[in-house]
Amino acid sequence: MATVTSIGTGVYQVEDEGRQTVVYVAGTPGDLWAFTDGQVFHESRRSEGNAHAGLPRRSEAKAGHYEVGAPMPATVVKVLVAPGQAVRHGDTLLLVEAMKMELPIRAPADAIVKAVHCREGDLVQPDRTLVELG
Amino acid sequence: MIKRLLIANRGEVALRVIRACRELGVETVAVYSDADQRAPHVSAADRSVHIGPAAAADSYLSTTRIVDAARTSGADAVHPGYGFLSENAAFAAACERAGLIFVGPPSGTIAQMGSKIAARKLMQTAGVPVVPGEAPHDQSDEGILAIARRVGFPALVKASSGGGGKGMRRIDDAAQAIEAIQLARREAESAFGDGTLYVERVIHNPRHVEVQIFADNYDHVVHLFERECSVQRRHQKVIEESPSVIVTPRLRSRMTDAAVQAARACGYRNAGTVEFLVDASGGRGTERFYFLEMNTRLQVEHPVTEQVTGLDIVRAQLLVASGEPLPWLSPGISQRGHAIEARVYAEDPSRGFLPQAGRLLLYREPRMPGIRIDSGVEEGSEIPVQYDALIAKVIATATTRDEAIARLSCALRAFPILGVQTNISFLLRILDHPRFRAGEVDTRFLDTDGASLAEQAAPQMPDAVRAAMAQHASSLSESQDHQSPESQIPNPQSLSDPWEHLAAWRR
Repeated sequence: MATVTSIGTGVYQVEDEGRQTVVYVAGTPGDLWAFTDGQVFHESRRSEGNAHAGLPRRSEAKAGHYEVGAPMPATVVKVLVAPGQAVRHGDTLLLVEAMKMELPIRAPADAIVKAVHCREGDLVQPDRTLVELG
Repeated sequence: MIKRLLIANRGEVALRVIRACRELGVETVAVYSDADQRAPHVSAADRSVHIGPAAAADSYLSTTRIVDAARTSGADAVHPGYGFLSENAAFAAACERAGLIFVGPPSGTIAQMGSKIAARKLMQTAGVPVVPGEAPHDQSDEGILAIARRVGFPALVKASSGGGGKGMRRIDDAAQAIEAIQLARREAESAFGDGTLYVERVIHNPRHVEVQIFADNYDHVVHLFERECSVQRRHQKVIEESPSVIVTPRLRSRMTDAAVQAARACGYRNAGTVEFLVDASGGRGTERFYFLEMNTRLQVEHPVTEQVTGLDIVRAQLLVASGEPLPWLSPGISQRGHAIEARVYAEDPSRGFLPQAGRLLLYREPRMPGIRIDSGVEEGSEIPVQYDALIAKVIATATTRDEAIARLSCALRAFPILGVQTNISFLLRILDHPRFRAGEVDTRFLDTDGASLAEQAAPQMPDAVRAAMAQHASSLSESQDHQSPESQIPNPQSLSDPWEHLAAWRR
């Protein structure tokens, strides 16, 4: 049995079998963040997105169809593919710039470019599909 | 003495300069973009001037807007900080033309050192060893590739106007050379407006050791010893310390002599840093060092030097820029104890170090002995997408390196930042790594042995965290019942008395 005591705004002292831990918590029930001893924990109801820049953020809607987007708000620096073009897994589709870093957005699989939904210079949000592959 | 100083920067460095001004009784003018209206550096200054939209190109990188802001606010001097326009010779020249004191070296020196190709030539003439390499006249992809072949693989293709790893790519073989050259050129063009490239031979497993120098208008040139910054990720420094464990007294005297010589050769004024690569592969006593570049500005990592020398570099910058002699000279400057700095970034190491933007829902800096924190944010601050993702620098000072590492580790473990992912757990893993502990880290460490430190599996959520989260969520939903539905952010004062729900939480 553990007892939780609020000891300040967003600060909780948790006692479990005589052992005390201070945990910092912030956020809303759908998007909770916590910190203890150098570690951050994040529980979000929103999808976590992809694990790496350039992998498809959304899993395939149907087999062989990919919607590729930026992993964070970014500016499109270069569009390297056009509709109809065949791409191989790992090919760079777009270059985006965020926080002064240039990030390549790569193809998640061998596929054909179905559509490109952005232009160079666009400021894009992570929920926007930039390239559709099929 | 400078009367009113405009700080052409944002974030922690702007605050650092503002604090030094306060101590000297110098009035301060902050500048800010649309993204920084409520940033701490703005409210900390005596005056502030809005200089444009969030995009840095139209605000913090706009010479016209900043010089105009200085004029309208009645400033007589400009401090560029680091990054942005700090190493832009045209900006320094524009300040000079406008009759403003530029806190830094003369524009001519910035231009000379800003061209890495010109800087290499000058250092060679001054007898300072440089990394073997060449600057091709033929700047085409093929021309640069030809030089790379001559210098030998692996080679580094670097931007002549570059620095800090931008516009730089490693070429391991001819096959991937063209893509690397094009990437370097594009990055150089977009970051510096100059795509001129040169090629250097890769020094295997080098250590990055730099010397802080300082010069005034009275022919005094001093050094403030070395800093080691070998913990780098893609040429961006992550952890910096002073002294360097590989620098013996003999090597120290050779390197600091070379740094002072370099500063004299270019007619340096104010604070600067001479960066060297040290090849220590031959073992103790056979170390070789090579001039890498000269940074003609205040460095991000200047606090470690301040901690071991007990001197205030920013204050001295303002004095020297005002025409006063250096407040301290060589025999009186000593290096005492050990200081280590860790850069806390809003980035996600487990997702390829993606920069994170967002609001700091909770941000509490630790307070403990021997810990200094230079930051530019506070709880509730937004980390904008447009700028560098540095949140804070945590600097630990102690008698020995081991003690300093332990202090830094304790401070990072007690530094809660919520709302964006940070690199804190990654920093802790570096500090824990046996090679770091042993002082055996070269600049490739985070790409080789240390690469796995980024990809650590997320730790299992401890029960205590789950319990605290549950408590937090339930207190939010209770307090929300009493509030209008549109109030998204709970007011802490409106939370119900915690003593009322001291309920037991069961596993």
